[in-house]
Amino acid sequence: MIRTALRYHAPDDLGEATELLHTHEERAAVLGGGTMLVPSLTRGDRDLDHVIDLRRIGLGEVSSTAGGMRIGASVSYARLLAAQPFTGATRLLQLAAEGITGGPQIRCQGTICGSVAYANPSSDVPAVLVALEAVIHLRGPGHSRAVPAEAFFLDAFTVDLRRGELLTGVTVGARSARVGYYKLKLAEGSWPIATASAVVPDAGDSLIGATVTLGAVSARPLRLDLAPLLDGHGRLPAAADVDDWVSAQLGEPWDDELAPGDYRRMVAGVVLRRALQRAQGK
Amino acid sequence: MTLAPEGPAVALGPLVGRSVRRKDGDLVLTGQGAYLDDVEFPGGTLHAALLRSPHPAARILRLNTTTALARPGVRVVIGGAEAAKLTEPLPHFYNPAMVGGRSIDFHPLAVDTVHYVGEPVAAVVAESLHQAQAALSDIEVEYEPQPYVLDSDDALAPQAPLVFDGWENNAVARLPFTEGDATTKLATAPYTLTGEISIQRYQTTPMETRGYVAAWSPDRRLTMHASTQNPHPMRSHLAQVLGISEHDVRVIAPRLGGGFGHKFHGYPEEALVALLARQAGAPVKWLESREESLLVGAREYVHRFEVGFDAAGKILALKDRILANVGALGPSGGWAQAFVAGLTLPGPYKINDYDVEVVPVATHKAPWNGARGYGKESAALLLERVMDLVAQRLELDPAEVRRRNLIPTAEMPYWTATKHIDGGDYHAVLEEVLQAADYPGRRAFQTAARARGRLLGVGIGFELAPEGADLAGSLVRGHDTATVRLDRSGGAIVLTGVTSPGTGNETGIAQMVAAELGIGVDDVRVMQGDTDMCPYGYGNFSSRSLTVGGAAAVLAARDLRGTLVQAGASLLKARAADCGLADGHLVDAATGARLPLRDVVNAVMTLGGAGLGIDERQLESTRTYAPENIHLVPDELGRMSVYPSYAYSAHVATVEVDRETGVVSLLSYAGVHDCGTVVNPMFVRGQFLGAIAMGIGGALWEESVYGADGRLRSDSLKRYLVPRAPDLPWIDTRTRETPSPFTLLGVKGGGESGVAGSLSAVANAVNDALLPLGVQVHRMPLSAPRLLSAISGAGVRG
Repeated sequence: MIRTALRYHAPDDLGEATELLHTHEERAAVLGGGTMLVPSLTRGDRDLDHVIDLRRIGLGEVSSTAGGMRIGASVSYARLLAAQPFTGATRLLQLAAEGITGGPQIRCQGTICGSVAYANPSSDVPAVLVALEAVIHLRGPGHSRAVPAEAFFLDAFTVDLRRGELLTGVTVGARSARVGYYKLKLAEGSWPIATASAVVPDAGDSLIGATVTLGAVSARPLRLDLAPLLDGHGRLPAAADVDDWVSAQLGEPWDDELAPGDYRRMVAGVVLRRALQRAQGK
Repeated sequence: MTLAPEGPAVALGPLVGRSVRRKDGDLVLTGQGAYLDDVEFPGGTLHAALLRSPHPAARILRLNTTTALARPGVRVVIGGAEAAKLTEPLPHFYNPAMVGGRSIDFHPLAVDTVHYVGEPVAAVVAESLHQAQAALSDIEVEYEPQPYVLDSDDALAPQAPLVFDGWENNAVARLPFTEGDATTKLATAPYTLTGEISIQRYQTTPMETRGYVAAWSPDRRLTMHASTQNPHPMRSHLAQVLGISEHDVRVIAPRLGGGFGHKFHGYPEEALVALLARQAGAPVKWLESREESLLVGAREYVHRFEVGFDAAGKILALKDRILANVGALGPSGGWAQAFVAGLTLPGPYKINDYDVEVVPVATHKAPWNGARGYGKESAALLLERVMDLVAQRLELDPAEVRRRNLIPTAEMPYWTATKHIDGGDYHAVLEEVLQAADYPGRRAFQTAARARGRLLGVGIGFELAPEGADLAGSLVRGHDTATVRLDRSGGAIVLTGVTSPGTGNETGIAQMVAAELGIGVDDVRVMQGDTDMCPYGYGNFSSRSLTVGGAAAVLAARDLRGTLVQAGASLLKARAADCGLADGHLVDAATGARLPLRDVVNAVMTLGGAGLGIDERQLESTRTYAPENIHLVPDELGRMSVYPSYAYSAHVATVEVDRETGVVSLLSYAGVHDCGTVVNPMFVRGQFLGAIAMGIGGALWEESVYGADGRLRSDSLKRYLVPRAPDLPWIDTRTRETPSPFTLLGVKGGGESGVAGSLSAVANAVNDALLPLGVQVHRMPLSAPRLLSAISGAGVRG
């Protein structure tokens, strides 16, 4: 049961929403799908006076943009998956959304942008958006700005959101590429322990120009350009060398009750290789 | 498996042994089945919230409830000292003092010391749950933190902080289970092995958590709705704690959404909620949150063993020192699982010389409560690892080592120091599971996979499940009582002292009674869990519901059948010996004459004592049934046996370990189960499947992880990983029926079998998979991080 006397707001437009956020600062939070916020309020982990529900603002659409797609702040995983077709690199979003567990309740309720704003290291979406070089669109009182995903995720559970700002959506480019997604979980109910989003050139065996973004292995998504690792033909070295290189890039690994940091360090290279294999159809 | 179609009102053919649909299944599936949280009182129900200790060990220096009490909607705020003045100490579900152990008084709330993070310290009652929980932050408590200890070995060290004031050390008891001369046999054995297995703390996660709703009537009578497995013993204990007569307490256990031992009575919150309702002068409800539910522990053991064997793989002697980290003890019955862990050894195997000592150790973790398997799973894991280790050492097939050690059927019933095993054909069940799993085929598949570098393992698990415990001196008894009443519509009501944790045993009992009375299952209504209606019973534990509750109902039904046959024979002017009950009728086999049962019932009621050939009689009987084969008084050799029936099962699991990530995949699974006569195959299979899933969860994922600060970190189902359907393979189950010679109808307990066998089979399969790397993992669960650490330690990375 939510312990505080909570005021529920469902503003009709963004101006009103940002005004409320600005007024109440840290005593207010944006309610997207509520899959994280509501349990945290119920458990007493968060203490708020106001929640601002976005449902009446009209941010629930997936739309085509020049060269890509825009995902509104209220778009759920189920809504995203219904928005066919996914072209080019945006297929990564589809692959990640299809693997979201928790049943229809979570897939129909949880939102892409909610996951972005929450920035849980052990989740799918942040790293996928970094892999896609997505842009995060923010609206504050009297201003708008757009931030590259890679710059938006500052730390675990910490993003570049300023006073009164909220996410209105993300845009991703549908550049032509092959993609592969690999998620390591301990069991079906587990948070992701390590994810890898591979984006590789359209054809051939060469990985020149390929990137892999690792998720859940560190506090922020880690986007790796494979260039330093590749031989003259764009091929990877032996698996152990790949793993050692990835481990060296990792810095401080993420650590939680499901898996210690040293485990994440050991599997980071593995998920990277497997995502690349999937991208290359191997 | 075929499901019986929805039958006619009067079922045809034999009812026992048929997969009759669960009586309330449609209600549950359509969301119409009421549970504890559906209990509301017309005048409004108040809500309770508990303030819990943030410290693993601390003195409570000061507790101030004034601010909290002033909040809107708040009716009662109470701390431990005040609650203790208003109540007697909480009775133990099973007092360690009964087996020579240390004991301590517990109260509804911590009085001056807290012993674990999460111990209830104060309680609030308010008009809404929201108000009650919000008021918790206004209760001021000043603590003085004390040193604490979380590990059982550390807790037994000489300078360890004591969990309980006045105890000499943290050992709750020292429990020996010995037979023969293990020391000498070990000294002379051709081969010996030593090892250590440590098992994680984990529990049962029932879908419905606990909860209580207490209401006092103006005449000071308490009605307690409780999500509990033991309504009558709870009534006894509530009366004692609250200082009132037992007849002034009514406990009603509504439909349960899972029990598994988590809902054994004995929690401090039970008397507390009753006290809060008395203080508030209004009904009070408290529901356990998932976070609170996950605090309850179980199953954390360390086995340190030594085994002696000969060249044929025959076990000659076993020594095992078992430490059980039972947390801060508590009044509930959890700690006694440590007793059963020792008692179960040496399980299904013929080992004449063994020396087992179990030490339940108090630590500053939350107390245990029951967890399906109740210690038997710990014994099985030890024994089954030993079988595989012996096989490995002698380069024998693990199945062959089991064949050479299982108790032969010819020696049944079989005595050990603490068990009189009723019977069974262990070898046949082993062979059947090997055949079901295509064991030779699995081994061939493994050989081929290993040649390609895959880590594929095959594991066998065999378990003995002593069931139906009778712990004299406590309210955990082996007998139970049922009343059967006939009515003029020709149907029956059964009132039982056993309860259902959600397994469907009421349907099984209805089948048994209907079979005796020749009526349909739909003509029988089974009432459970209401202490005002049902005869005193011990409730649901130790897989006893059909073995004793069903049997008592059968005896009562037979009494009524006798009356009906006598009366019906008189009405038909037939010989009673020719008459029987079938299809809702009394039937004279000699002439084929039939009378509807309701007419016979009516005749008994209206004509008894008036020329019907029977005297004035009620069509109601209450009978108590105790299975044979309970031996509470030591025989001339000092042997006792508190369990009347011994189900058993054998399992084969095939797994693959991802050598780069340590993640385990289950490739195939087969289990064969013998729990004696089967009343309802569908329910038995359901229990077996659920238990297997629970054992697999314990082998691979489930773990109550504590931080060094003494806080439980796995406090949600995203951090405590319970198996979900995609985690499990298709599970091939089969049943053999070897009726128990000692129970009515030959029934044995069927509710727990599978946890121990599947835990063991998967642990063996994973270790078998790692065999080519020369490593073994004896620290449970066999999680991916733990396995990858072992694999990388073997120098075979990626």
